Amino acid sequence: MRTQVQNEARRQGLRLWITSGPGLFWIVLFLLIPSAVLLGIGFFSADDYGSPILPVTLQPFQQVAGYSLLGWDDGNIIIFLRSLAQAGIATAVTALLSYPLVFFIMTRPAALRPLLLLFIVLPSWTNQVVRTYAWLELLGPNAPVSWLAHALHIVPPDLGIAPGTFAVTTGLAYNYLPYMMVPLYASAEKLDWTLVEAGRDLYASGLRLFWHTVFPQTLPGLLSGVIFVAIPAFGDYVVPQLLGGDRALMIGSLIANQFTETPDWPYGAALTIIMLVFTGAGLVAFRVLTRKLGGAGEATI
Amino acid sequence: MSNVVPRRVRAVLAGISWPVYVLLYTPLALVAFYSFAPEPNGVGHSLHAYNVLFHDGDVFVALQRSLILALGSATVSTMLGTLLGYGLCRFRNANARGFLANIPSLVIYTPIIMPSLVFGISELIFFNFVHRTTGLLGAGLDTMVIAHITFQVPYVALTVFARLAGLDPNLFEASNDLYADGVKSFFYLIVPVVQPAIIGGFMLGITLSIDDFTISFFTAGPGSVTLPIYIYSAIARKGISPEINALGTLMIGTIILFAVVHFLITKGREGADEYSA
Amino acid sequence: MSDTAARGAISLSGITRIFSGMIPAVDRIDLEIRAGEFFTLLGPSGCGKTTLLRMIAGFETPDAGTILISGREMQDVPAHQRAVNTVFQSYALFPHLNVAENIGFGLRMRGVKKPERKKRVDAMMELLQIGAFAGRNAGQLSGGQRQRVALARALVNEPEVVLLDEPLSALDAKLRAELQIELLRMQKRLGMTFIFVTHDQHEALVMSDRIGVMSRGQLQQVGPVLDVYEKPRNVFVAEFLGLSNIWPMTAAGGGVGQTPIGPLQITAPMGAERQVMIRPEKIWLYNDSQAPRDRPNVFSGVVREAIYMGASTQYRVELTGGAIVLALDTNNAAAERSWRAGEAVAVELKPDNIMLIEG
Repeated sequence: MRTQVQNEARRQGLRLWITSGPGLFWIVLFLLIPSAVLLGIGFFSADDYGSPILPVTLQPFQQVAGYSLLGWDDGNIIIFLRSLAQAGIATAVTALLSYPLVFFIMTRPAALRPLLLLFIVLPSWTNQVVRTYAWLELLGPNAPVSWLAHALHIVPPDLGIAPGTFAVTTGLAYNYLPYMMVPLYASAEKLDWTLVEAGRDLYASGLRLFWHTVFPQTLPGLLSGVIFVAIPAFGDYVVPQLLGGDRALMIGSLIANQFTETPDWPYGAALTIIMLVFTGAGLVAFRVLTRKLGGAGEATI
Repeated sequence: MSNVVPRRVRAVLAGISWPVYVLLYTPLALVAFYSFAPEPNGVGHSLHAYNVLFHDGDVFVALQRSLILALGSATVSTMLGTLLGYGLCRFRNANARGFLANIPSLVIYTPIIMPSLVFGISELIFFNFVHRTTGLLGAGLDTMVIAHITFQVPYVALTVFARLAGLDPNLFEASNDLYADGVKSFFYLIVPVVQPAIIGGFMLGITLSIDDFTISFFTAGPGSVTLPIYIYSAIARKGISPEINALGTLMIGTIILFAVVHFLITKGREGADEYSA
Repeated sequence: MSDTAARGAISLSGITRIFSGMIPAVDRIDLEIRAGEFFTLLGPSGCGKTTLLRMIAGFETPDAGTILISGREMQDVPAHQRAVNTVFQSYALFPHLNVAENIGFGLRMRGVKKPERKKRVDAMMELLQIGAFAGRNAGQLSGGQRQRVALARALVNEPEVVLLDEPLSALDAKLRAELQIELLRMQKRLGMTFIFVTHDQHEALVMSDRIGVMSRGQLQQVGPVLDVYEKPRNVFVAEFLGLSNIWPMTAAGGGVGQTPIGPLQITAPMGAERQVMIRPEKIWLYNDSQAPRDRPNVFSGVVREAIYMGASTQYRVELTGGAIVLALDTNNAAAERSWRAGEAVAVELKPDNIMLIEG
């Protein structure tokens, strides 16, 4: 005879499936399965049109590593490294900008703070293409900034800062600044300022004071921000496409090409897998780092 | 708190921050500025670009599609996401461990963490396969809507979940205690309390939809050009042009307007909204 | 004998609740609560008192046993169909409704029409003096005000039983004291059965008609407050409710028991109990030189600690022989009846005041 408790547990389970089921099912059907298919394709061969066909092979991965009919080419490695570097620099820039911004906002009257935060987040509500286009205009060959750069002999005449590596970095930092700001701000809001007083009481001051009392408390926010910036920046498509040109090719453009311009689906899928491996490794590394540094937990499901 | 931070430091912070604010809006301001470019073979400023824009039928169609896409996907994702968030908050056994219990987390966080590019390409392949085998879901507005719903649902679910999780757990019981059964409790307690989160989730869905390019790009078909895709193609073809500037300016202006209106509304509602009792 | 079918009478038989294979939270409890009484479930945290309360409310289902409310079996009836209302520890006021709407919620759910509802809500707000806040939301009220709203919300439904789960624990001492009296007055006036859960023994003493002391899922003792305090049945009850001196005892015949402090003459008939207990306030203190040596149970000692508590002073007295006795003395005006650490005193334990309790 089932007890009341077991009956109740069953009813709970049923209610769970009725409410959460549709949403979960939708995501499984329309994302998880397609992603699995994509990853699977990386192990197939390609036909003349770039579609996946049997036999199963590791050849696409060899392509990723740079091996082709013409021997070994380091192009892909360079692209990966460049993408990592861009993501890293963009993350660093957003972090370095976010700290002063966050604490600037914190020093303003409480009524003003939401407004100031809003102004930072606002540009990110416009479309990516429009934002990136704006930078294209600002850093393009005919823009005043480029004239300045030309005058300083940084770039040759008729060429702007965009397209180029610096333009990509700028575009990435601009687009992802809010993603770093918001978690960092959330952390800063919860700061226990009495620690600063305790620090002063124990003879610390200036930068050391900040480093030992304030900074550690912002770590959860910082690490969230790093994840929210570095991962999308690494695989970004729009910014390198519009601001990068041929000299600053990143992994996002490379992958996209395999599905649009020069179809080779298995190769593209293999590239994606490798990209995800890098991303996953980075995520794991940061979770370990968070735990070691004692990061706090958010309201997670 | 301002007494903790010394005056000098505050000055430095301000000195760094104000220029950043300016820098944030300079590109956008420039777009607006250049949109008032003179007519061809003219000088000074004019509304020529806007004129051309308003007479361009393609733009209006693209705009229409963008709106349908945003509103359609946000509506569905809000419904799915709200139920999802509610279900996980209310009916999940908090002590369950093991693989099965972690599936919802995995499923919900994947669309958020996944890079848009991988997302878009996965959809491309999936819909391509489905279309080839069943003839349904050819690349077009419907595939775009499906993709948009998919990336919005987790955000809505998390928003609703967070709001519910922050509530006193006794509230459900209080409602029962006062003669409301499960269904009545849902409509008289849950929905009103969670309403701000539902609306917030809906607005978030619209924002995500309008902001997206990559996923839309890879799920679009030849006949389903939306506004971001239109702009992107125009840039690819013509590079920088006043018409694009005009379009961009209008989009930026609309967003700013909405943000200001939204801010004023929430400011006005401030006093009545307290959720701990 | 009490009428178990009277409106608001509660009868629990063999109530058990086990949480996922662990030790039972509530272990085979039998309890009769009379209609219209103020009954307190007292015990430390984790003793199962809240679980028991929740089962009466209907938020939890017992794994075994029956619950009779007003004579009808209720253990399988869902909470929203029971004529029982709860005042929660966290008040659980609905955030999206104002005070008046909160109070009227139960009436609304039961289909009471607006004019009637308004009448009853207004009357209740008048009774609890919260009419001034009718339009405010929960977030705009103080702790004490919220507590009254929570109470009003429960009482307006005129339930058969009102359950209160540590409703005063979040309030400061002064407010608590005020509300304790007010709750008591309210209960007497309305005549509903109140079941009050707390871990605070002072609260229990002040408000209750009868107390049930719980520990580890079981009822240790049930009875009127005076009885439970003056005649605790075991060490747990003796120590949980008030201060006590407890010593092991071996019967030595003739109404005398041997204890670590010496031989004690005890009035109560000796049975199987192996412990003696005496409340500190029952111990008489004298200057050692003035001790009434002709009476039984008088021992000499030295004051080790004198703790001044305002209306009374607590003394830790070390007897010659090493045993420690805790005595409580009211601070009368007479100066010679107060001692400092190091002074020689004598304690008298009157035979009538010594209780025999189980271990």
